[in-house]
Amino acid sequence: MTAARFDELIHAPTRLAIVSLLAATDWAEFRYLKETVDLSDSALSKQLSTLEEAGYAEVRKGFVGKRPRTTVRLTPAGRGAFSQHVAALQQIVARAGETILPGPA
Amino acid sequence: MNAAEIRPNEAAAALEQVRLHQEQVFITPPFPGWFWPGLGALNVAFTAAVETGHPAMVATGAVAFAAGLGAIIVVSIRKRPLQLRNDLLGARGGLAIGGFVAALVALGIGLAFALRAAGAPMPGTVANVAVAVAMALLGPLLGRRLQRIMSDTAAKALR
Repeated sequence: MTAARFDELIHAPTRLAIVSLLAATDWAEFRYLKETVDLSDSALSKQLSTLEEAGYAEVRKGFVGKRPRTTVRLTPAGRGAFSQHVAALQQIVARAGETILPGPA
Repeated sequence: MNAAEIRPNEAAAALEQVRLHQEQVFITPPFPGWFWPGLGALNVAFTAAVETGHPAMVATGAVAFAAGLGAIIVVSIRKRPLQLRNDLLGARGGLAIGGFVAALVALGIGLAFALRAAGAPMPGTVANVAVAVAMALLGPLLGRRLQRIMSDTAAKALR
């Protein structure tokens, strides 16, 4: 079972979108992320830098034939942090469920 | 902001956002549109080369098949904008792929033997034309099935 740990860095809406997308993939192209999350190049780069600095994401620049291709992936630490963040969110929701459950008669 | 400041409805909304974002990933087709027809056509051409019985044709067909298969795989990998996590497929995905392959093999072999018994010329090639059509029609359905399985697996982790 994944330990719950709320992660402020991941919880920011734009980064939550980016990390959610990356968590379902082994890697995604920078261009794909940009179009899917609807960000400019610079805005996405800024968010990815924040994730890279935290050790959560890895940006790789390469070439496919002559075309440059930048791919992004979550690091194991990033995947772990995302799982723990999701567990923390689930815990908050579950606790609220418990508080509205009727107690024993 | 920390966990104590997050209200349950905000946490639920964040989880829903995660689910919606991940769903977008699974909409992306795993194979380009030409993948299955291309694979089928290559298979038919190779079988036709083998059934001519001429060693030079068989050798040329084998080399062309290997080169064509390699090209199809490399181009389809290069063109995709992302790589889905294969572990999301699980046993259900493995069964779907295994069932798809088994059905195509059974169709190809069964039809080829039936055509040969009926005395039809080039039974393997004709049977593989049927297999190629089945691949072109059912391949995209397999892709969608695999996407659904992966999407379900990812969504389960959020419940």
